[in-house]
Amino acid sequence: MITGMDRLVAALNGTVSDRAPVFCNLFDQGAKELQVPLKDYYSNGEYVAEAQLKMLSKYGYDSVWSLFYVGKEAELLGCNQMRFAEDGPPNVEDFVIKNYGDVGRLKVPDDIASHPAFAESSKCLRILKREVGGKNPICAYVSASMILPAMLMGMDKWMELLFMGPPEVRDELLEKCHEFFVKEIQAYRAAGVDVIIYSNPFGSTDIISMKYFMKHSLPWIKKDIEAIGTNGIVYYCGTARMNRVINTVIEQTGLAVFHLSPLDDIAEGKAIVANRGLTCGVINDIKLIDWTQDEIKSEVKRIFDAGMPGGKFLFSTAVMPYNIPENNIRAMLEAAYEFGKY
Amino acid sequence: MNKLDQIIEDYKEAVFDTDRQAALEIINEATRNGITPEEVVFEIVIPTIHSMMENVSSLDTNLAQHFIAAQIAAEITEVMTAKFPESYTVAGSVVIGTSAGDLHGLGKRIVTGCLKAFMIDVTDLGLNVSPERFVDEAVARGAEVIGISSMMVHTARGENGCLKVRQILRERGLEQKIKIAVGGAPYRFDHNLYKTVQADAWAEDGIQACKVIMDLIEEVHK
Repeated sequence: MITGMDRLVAALNGTVSDRAPVFCNLFDQGAKELQVPLKDYYSNGEYVAEAQLKMLSKYGYDSVWSLFYVGKEAELLGCNQMRFAEDGPPNVEDFVIKNYGDVGRLKVPDDIASHPAFAESSKCLRILKREVGGKNPICAYVSASMILPAMLMGMDKWMELLFMGPPEVRDELLEKCHEFFVKEIQAYRAAGVDVIIYSNPFGSTDIISMKYFMKHSLPWIKKDIEAIGTNGIVYYCGTARMNRVINTVIEQTGLAVFHLSPLDDIAEGKAIVANRGLTCGVINDIKLIDWTQDEIKSEVKRIFDAGMPGGKFLFSTAVMPYNIPENNIRAMLEAAYEFGKY
Repeated sequence: MNKLDQIIEDYKEAVFDTDRQAALEIINEATRNGITPEEVVFEIVIPTIHSMMENVSSLDTNLAQHFIAAQIAAEITEVMTAKFPESYTVAGSVVIGTSAGDLHGLGKRIVTGCLKAFMIDVTDLGLNVSPERFVDEAVARGAEVIGISSMMVHTARGENGCLKVRQILRERGLEQKIKIAVGGAPYRFDHNLYKTVQADAWAEDGIQACKVIMDLIEEVHK
């Protein structure tokens, strides 16, 4: 029987399995699956693992997630207040960095794996590894050095510091975030994660100019990747577009997997990646809430028509909103299984 | 190219390079060389924002440029308007904040800075603003527009977001006096979402929001 891992490996190598790999990024839906409030759901690694496995079995896609919510990284760095919602992901409510003096006081944990805020993630990963390790890719989410500060001080304050603040404070924070980044990746890899989403909106020219990207952002990307290697790393700009930088990123870092924005031209992205790596075509999943099933099928077909020729293609979602009707998730996946056949 | 045109070009370049220090130095140098505060605002700062509005749909502008442009523009306008020889007329009034449960403040900060450059009176209500507060503050300040920023789908579509603001405006008979503009990531991915949440208008980004809001102010004044 062909597994999700087989499909991923085949797509990476440009060989053929039964169909293209399909990654469906369901997070908050796990709480619905177990019929527990989101806050309770995310307090327990066993819940998250159980729901990931249930949804994997129920929908038949290829990967599972160890991510609880993005703010987990802030918790590992001292945040102790999240604002939970009933129908969406939690927000960081208490920023660790409230003034520039806090940058000097920011302490990167020596060992992420033994940190109390990582305990439930570890629990979740142990279960996922035991149940589907080697069969289905286990995914983790890690913020790049350059975006992590936004989690610690808010995006507007980070942009203020980045572009207008004291350079020595900015650089100290970036160095600490890089140190954390490396340790976090090591912890995930030691726990058996196969795929790491390297999230960095500052890797997109939707967020910064090409000039700034080349001069400031790319050096930090190179530093991140040189420290941890390219194995299992997926370039992702947090739904911002990336086609303009793909070639540079490949040449400068050796990264070979690109999770496009739903707003990127998929055929163009695929042509830029060419045979040098794997292109992930991403559906605009916010529209899955309201699209009809025919519209969903048509959109999935459009994505495969653009990305599938020549193989080395993976179908994926962004961060599936909580209130997408289950029938629409099924419609998307059935279409992906149909149009993704080799 | 005359002196003022050269200053405009230099200022635009500094803003597009997200170089705040250079932009401020250009303005300071200009005022030292006799450029009036009115010229700074009306000939340099506002046209630069207009230029961004025109280029915003292309790949030539980005979030960082919008952020820097808005911050610098607001900063310069505040200093320059204080030096105007005569008092100026405020073009309109806006209250702005993020929707209930949403703690992402970048977008509204760009919009606020941009509106200030156009000498619109803006009250920033902050993060996680309840629908009742949006309306109460708009009424108290005589605002023509409520701006609601949402970074997440559930805070954009949720019952305590724009939908509730609309309901309150309707119940209180204020719909002709106060308009609603929305923005934020979910709207960029679903261009009809503003209709779903019953807003009057939406904007793709912070700079465009400024134009959308000014249009709504004009609509209320008709």
